[in-house]
Amino acid sequence: MSQARIVLSAARRHKLFSIAAFTGLLGLAVTMVPASVSTAAPASSHIGGSVSLWAEWSSAEQQNFEAVLVPFEAETGVTVNYSSKGSNMDTAIDAAVAGGAPPQVALVPDPGTLLALAKKGAIQPLAPVLGSEVSDYGSAWNNLVTYNGKLYGVWFKGANKNTIWYNPAEFALAGIKTTPTTWQQLLTDAATLKRAGVTPFSVCTGIGWPVADLWQNLYLKTAGATSYNALAAHNIPWTSPTVTTAFDTLAELVGQPSYLLGGTKGTLANAYPTCVDEVFPKAGSMPKAAMVIEADFVVNEIVGNSANYTAGTTGAGGKKCTANPAATPCYDFFPFPAPAADQKNNSAIQGSGDVAMLLKPSAAAKALIKYLGSPEAGEIWAHLGGFASPNKMVPLSSYPDPVTEADASELQHATSFVFSLDDLQGSWEPSLWQDMLNFVKNPSPSNIAGIEKTMQAQATAAMGH
Amino acid sequence: MAVVAVEQQLGPPRRRVRREGQHHLQSLAFLVPGAVLLLAIVIWPAIATIRYSFYNGTATKAVGFSNYKSLFSTADTLIAFRNNVIWVLVFPFIVTVFGLVFAVLSEHIRWSTAFKTIIFLPIVFSVTASSLVFTQIFQLDPHVGVLNALVQTVDDYFHPPGAYPLSSGQTAASLATSGVVAGPHGTLESSTAVRAGSTVRIGLTGVNPDTLTVLGARQARLPAPSPGAVTGLVWRDFSASNPSNISGVLPGEDGFPNLHLALLASDGSIITTTTTDAFGRFVFPHVGTGPFRVQIEASNFTPSFSGTFWLGPQSLTPTSNLSQTAQALLSVPLIDISEILAYLWIWAGFTMVVVAAGLAALDREALEAAHVDGATEWQTFRRITIPMLAPVLTVVFVTMVINVLKIFDIVVNLGVDTSQPGGQSSTLASDVYYLGFGGGVHTGLASALAVILFILVVPAMLFNLKRISGK
Repeated sequence: MSQARIVLSAARRHKLFSIAAFTGLLGLAVTMVPASVSTAAPASSHIGGSVSLWAEWSSAEQQNFEAVLVPFEAETGVTVNYSSKGSNMDTAIDAAVAGGAPPQVALVPDPGTLLALAKKGAIQPLAPVLGSEVSDYGSAWNNLVTYNGKLYGVWFKGANKNTIWYNPAEFALAGIKTTPTTWQQLLTDAATLKRAGVTPFSVCTGIGWPVADLWQNLYLKTAGATSYNALAAHNIPWTSPTVTTAFDTLAELVGQPSYLLGGTKGTLANAYPTCVDEVFPKAGSMPKAAMVIEADFVVNEIVGNSANYTAGTTGAGGKKCTANPAATPCYDFFPFPAPAADQKNNSAIQGSGDVAMLLKPSAAAKALIKYLGSPEAGEIWAHLGGFASPNKMVPLSSYPDPVTEADASELQHATSFVFSLDDLQGSWEPSLWQDMLNFVKNPSPSNIAGIEKTMQAQATAAMGH
Repeated sequence: MAVVAVEQQLGPPRRRVRREGQHHLQSLAFLVPGAVLLLAIVIWPAIATIRYSFYNGTATKAVGFSNYKSLFSTADTLIAFRNNVIWVLVFPFIVTVFGLVFAVLSEHIRWSTAFKTIIFLPIVFSVTASSLVFTQIFQLDPHVGVLNALVQTVDDYFHPPGAYPLSSGQTAASLATSGVVAGPHGTLESSTAVRAGSTVRIGLTGVNPDTLTVLGARQARLPAPSPGAVTGLVWRDFSASNPSNISGVLPGEDGFPNLHLALLASDGSIITTTTTDAFGRFVFPHVGTGPFRVQIEASNFTPSFSGTFWLGPQSLTPTSNLSQTAQALLSVPLIDISEILAYLWIWAGFTMVVVAAGLAALDREALEAAHVDGATEWQTFRRITIPMLAPVLTVVFVTMVINVLKIFDIVVNLGVDTSQPGGQSSTLASDVYYLGFGGGVHTGLASALAVILFILVVPAMLFNLKRISGK
């Protein structure tokens, strides 16, 4: 599916080496946590047999996921045969269904894949399986996996792209005490940072998906979720005034080269994950910018750069946050702010997630689906870190730090939740990224009309309408 | 005569025919496994690719020539095609020249085996690994990229950076905060005229406190006025505890040390110069009456070298004012050249070894005869060695043409950010990959482009086949 995700998971994989140090800790957690949870898990009878299960997680994420499965296996006597398909999950499941040998349960990172399979009748409605668990999820989540009025998926893991990560020590240098809640305040704070001699933003560009994510955040905040979904399906043209508004708003940021690390030229060379390292460097370098606009997966990169990084605005041991990563550095985020006039869209969130679906029903497979939808399953991974559950019943106290907690809370309380628009564009996704980069290169108002026309033509050609 | 002799050896003709028939059958039987393999993994996929090129993205519906039409109507294909042309024009030629030069030179030096081994070594590394190495070499940040570190050393010698280098996108004028305005040519000037005996306060912002700390800055302190002299203070007019207070000298605000200042007469001419101390203070003693202005020289803010974006899409040809199509055709992005350099490092060893083999098989007598006749090294090389090596050089050249027509690995690995379809370093082969396996997964478009690529490779391939079979 998306190139973005291929890049991401490559980046993630890269990080896994640096967080290998945690593996020992994880091992401990794996042995401890299930014991405490299984007592709380609903008493289910012995079922036995086995279930085949596919998902995208490998390496450390796979270990965490397998830790989630341990209590289920112990409780039900079911053997879960987990198989990781990495970034090929969508393709793999499509191929397996076409080949007639799909797994019994699969978690896909794209609701589009799930809906296509529902249309084909390859997956089972889940309402009878889940029962009351259905209401543990916000309607924003359930709507994404509902086809013809029937629920076909249960969300297990969520990712939040509605985040701006900042280095608290750099904010302190500029005397910024509260994080911005409007887009205008964000720009004012950027000006203050600039006066303090701190470059406000490290804007990620690379092949373009980070810019697309940033633009999509702005489109969602200015135009709202309904328009967002309509544009994603190309039911609104790319020449629409709502698109222009989002570009105009983006220009307020990328049109200020002095706000961007390396100016415009340097920004175009600022790929993920280096752009994160510029704000949260490894020991030996100092931060070069104060903020990076990225999804919550950057936490892996940050704590991978130095184990010293503490979540929140107080450094390790209650000390002051330092810019120096070798002392007591910190990291924190604030929700991507909407312009003052569009505050109503503040709890509309762009993100992604992994959704479980049932391909071949059996008692064991149904029990597994029900288990994955239960708060107990989410709680286990929440304890282990690097995880946010869309399930409202997963207590926020189970997250390891206040930052992850705030992140998960945002996900659970989203009034509307949208997926990355670029991932829904099919064959012209790379062109969309390129168009976004072209805008960063020349963010003048006169350039917007031309880019919109190009995008409209590309979208029409690729989507057939 | 010979035929008769053979017939006599083989006995009666009838028997010979049967034997030959058996022989044919035997040969065929031995050919079958190979032929089946060839059919299954070469011929059939090739035919399937051609078939898919007339189908839609999911290979479920025939769409005629529409894939070809859309490929020929987008600038993306033009860009990819242009990059292939750049590769074909530049790479085979220079890699053959380098191979030839290395091969000939290695005959003239001691330790030639060691030399050849070193040059040949890169070919055994995976292109992905080599790309990783070159990604570092070409890095923008001179602290990482060796090439930019070199350029920086030279650049800093000719344009030494100031004590307060501006960051990209920052102007000297943007630093002016209180008591100061932008002057000509990136200088800053005191906003009001000053006279002897008065004290000037110049507040600047936009400079990181770390920069000042490194320069040994101390808490800003106003100098006492001194009769007959212009005194003053340049300080960082920003306090984190009171960011909105402008122009007050607050605790925690440091002076700007080591700043080069000039005293200007009312006509703008420079009367005298000085530098600030650790507290940001300065004195122009015994200056007369005035009026004067205090200038902060532009050299204080000269930016440090920001690096050449070796892996960037910027064009070496001035095409920015042309139409999109003309740009797609005529731009030569720097990244193409960087990739070609990296690929040269990989392949020069291979061409050297092939050319050296050809060289070893040369008729030494011709070379010795030339020497005896008094030809210089260069004349021998130019008039004897190259013509005699021509067949080998042609094979090397054509092999390299085919090699770069389908150039893919280095493009995708080194140009991670620019090899997407429409990206400035994309090639036909990388487009096939991204169209077929990237975001969109459009089997039809990818197959159609693969067919176009195949058609482009065929002439070079036939030429090589003809040469090989001709021998």
